[in-house]
Amino acid sequence: MITKLVAGKPGLARPLSIVGGVLLIVGALLPWATFQLNIMPYPALSTLQFFDAPFGVPGFRLHVMLLGVAVIAVAFAPAAIRGRTTKALGWGALAIAVVNAAYLIVEGGGFGTITSAHGAFAFGAVVSAVAAVMAIVAGSAYPAAPPVTWDLKLAKPLEWLVLVLAYAALLKVVADTLTAGGRGGAANPYAGAVFLSFVAFLFGVFGGLNGTGLLRWVSAVAERHRAFSAVVLLACAFVLPFTEAGTEQWIYTATNIGVFAATAIGLNIVVGLAGLLDLGYVAFMGIGAFVAANLSGAASASLGVDLPFVLVLVIAAIVAGVFGAIVGSPTLRVRGDYLAIVTLAFGEIFFKAAQNNIAGATGGSNAIPGIPPLDFLGTPGDAAITVFGAELAGGVLYYLLAVVIVALVMVLFANLKSSRIGRAWIAVREDEDAARAMGVKTGKIKVLAFLVGAAIAGVAGAVLVHRLTTASYESFTFLESVTLLSAVILGGMGSIPGAVVGASLLFVLPEKLREFSDYRLMLFGLALVLIMRFRPQGLIPDKVRRAELAGETAEGGSLKEAEERAVAEQERADDERLGRTGVTEGRS
Amino acid sequence: MSSASDRSAAPLLEASGVSMVFGGLTALNNVSLTVGREEVLGLIGPNGAGKTTFFNCLTGQYVPTSGRISLDGTTLPSDPAKVAAAGVARTFQNIRLFPNMSVLENVLVGRHVRMRQGAIASIFHGPGFRKGERLARERSRELLDFVGLSQVEGELSRNLPYGDQRRLEIARALATEPSVLLLDEPTAGMNPQETEDTRQLIFAIRDSGVSVIVIEHDTKFIFGLCDHVVVLVQGEVLVAGTPDVVRDDPRVIEAYLGKPPEDVAGTATEGEEGR
Repeated sequence: MITKLVAGKPGLARPLSIVGGVLLIVGALLPWATFQLNIMPYPALSTLQFFDAPFGVPGFRLHVMLLGVAVIAVAFAPAAIRGRTTKALGWGALAIAVVNAAYLIVEGGGFGTITSAHGAFAFGAVVSAVAAVMAIVAGSAYPAAPPVTWDLKLAKPLEWLVLVLAYAALLKVVADTLTAGGRGGAANPYAGAVFLSFVAFLFGVFGGLNGTGLLRWVSAVAERHRAFSAVVLLACAFVLPFTEAGTEQWIYTATNIGVFAATAIGLNIVVGLAGLLDLGYVAFMGIGAFVAANLSGAASASLGVDLPFVLVLVIAAIVAGVFGAIVGSPTLRVRGDYLAIVTLAFGEIFFKAAQNNIAGATGGSNAIPGIPPLDFLGTPGDAAITVFGAELAGGVLYYLLAVVIVALVMVLFANLKSSRIGRAWIAVREDEDAARAMGVKTGKIKVLAFLVGAAIAGVAGAVLVHRLTTASYESFTFLESVTLLSAVILGGMGSIPGAVVGASLLFVLPEKLREFSDYRLMLFGLALVLIMRFRPQGLIPDKVRRAELAGETAEGGSLKEAEERAVAEQERADDERLGRTGVTEGRS
Repeated sequence: MSSASDRSAAPLLEASGVSMVFGGLTALNNVSLTVGREEVLGLIGPNGAGKTTFFNCLTGQYVPTSGRISLDGTTLPSDPAKVAAAGVARTFQNIRLFPNMSVLENVLVGRHVRMRQGAIASIFHGPGFRKGERLARERSRELLDFVGLSQVEGELSRNLPYGDQRRLEIARALATEPSVLLLDEPTAGMNPQETEDTRQLIFAIRDSGVSVIVIEHDTKFIFGLCDHVVVLVQGEVLVAGTPDVVRDDPRVIEAYLGKPPEDVAGTATEGEEGR
């Protein structure tokens, strides 16, 4: 409503955003709570230490201040980037203010905490929130401009340098996000607030950078040097254990993320590429896990064999793949909802069978415990190791293994996607009858999707079970299938980075927000609803198509492409506004 | 490129006595026709005459209740994928592109049936794979050039204007290297200029050695395009012959303009409703 008031008055935008920026800085410096929440000094326990040090600006208050400075600076930046950037910065600041205010109100016992109580005043949160709203309004008041794209090309070494810096920054962001709110996580009642504030800050910063066009430029550079980006990204993943996030807990979480990200990419083949909704996918992971458990020399396993790990992986993949094909075959005649029900039933069959120790292969309720740790060239997988004088946490070898598996699965996915098979999958998803009329053997191709997806899940399950050292049917519930599917949808169907980001979110957030653990599923549900409403394509939508084009058309074709599409969109919107009927309507 | 010389040769596509019955509904009744090499055959008739049903029988979507359809003397299988492999490709009455694939990818899907890479090759992208992929892309670009869409190969097909979508469907069908191309109302919804462009395109396709069967309502378009015209009414062949013969046949005029057939609604309707 306020936005509408100022919409036609771009003259108001700059003063408003400057005032908003100044107020953000003031708000950051004001006290935020009317009592001292924690007597320990920052940063020994990252706390909301608001009252006693109004002029020290640790943590989120520094972030609010930085956002305020950025808002002021953007007011003098080129006109094209002002609107979007200011708006994003404002949203980030607002989120920080709201998160901290909410925590303060809840922990401090009422609104007095963030206004005035016992003769003390603390309006930091309120002032910051108002200032942030001003920035958002100012951002909307700037004249609308199309998204900025930089038509900038540097020499190859410089572009490489840009990529290295960008990925190093990304690594820093990931490490900081993992450690925000304390390295251990659970000790501090405000860890959740600190973490959420940090995420809000990142949201503001990345939104702002996106508004300036920098992110689009960097991703265009990355697309120009895809192989190099992949190498740097892999290197970053290997470096993560050396950062402050390299504690046993986070390495363990990161390993889990890796395993589930690989599975999510596999599921992405079935759901994202071939468009076959699979609600029982985790069963294939379970099959891989139990195959690995039985073949790896666990004391209670019925087979009592101990095969080399690589061989175990291959067998797990094959067995899971065969089951995938078996499940896929009868589903050829059912589509959509019916397929979902069939796969759901399969997942339940697997769960019940594993629970009842079918064929003595799953250990039933006793599970299969005591799977010996993997042997990495003589070092047991769960041991702490020392590399270049740096002591790395235990389990880091499993983490590296997970990284390698994810990298391989990514290559597999990307290669399949840009092949005859991948195109056939997408064609089936888009229009099965038309695909068939073009000579795609849709039945075979759908079974193949199930087979490949299941084999990937089988490999992931085999790795997981070695990390857990116990193979239990309880790890493979319907809930896990839903979580995986959520990861795929959250990240963006058919997108590789999307699947990784989705899996990361769904495994990091529960670790970080333990105080909400009772509401975990409710919050997932809410997040999914919001994503479907506001960003149905997912957080990181499928960009591979554009990447392919960048390689095929003239250099920089993807940028032109985007422009043309924007123009076309605009024309279409104009047509609709003028009430002209679309050309397609003329026919049907 | 006169088709007269080819008419003496054995027909390329031959449908004999094709009947299609849905429950108690006879959509096609004993339809026989032949298509020669490099010939354009027009298939016209009022709504519900069974034209699209006939296409669906030709391409294996439907299994005819009786009758035989053969291409170059070999009976066509009743599986759309195998029919496409045998060399019969089609476009759809309601455009059915792959909307979220790029223009080039749409055509590449058409190449699917002429490519040989399996899953293993697709995973490893070996030299042989890359060569096949490059050739497929070259061929697809040639086809896009042929139909005049090479400028927009990177667009998502759903973003194309209507006329371009029709042409893309044709390019996609041509990518399967058909010997017979079935076009289901290729000019529906087009303006006169686009219709003329389509006519020239169909001539070019014929001249490249592909026989074409066209369903159309626009009789003027059909008579200016086809070597032969078959008129279907209520699932039966009413008249067949050269455009001149068909144009002057009073039964055709009656079917279109004169007293309408009593039970048009009783026969199977076109397209989606027919299945």
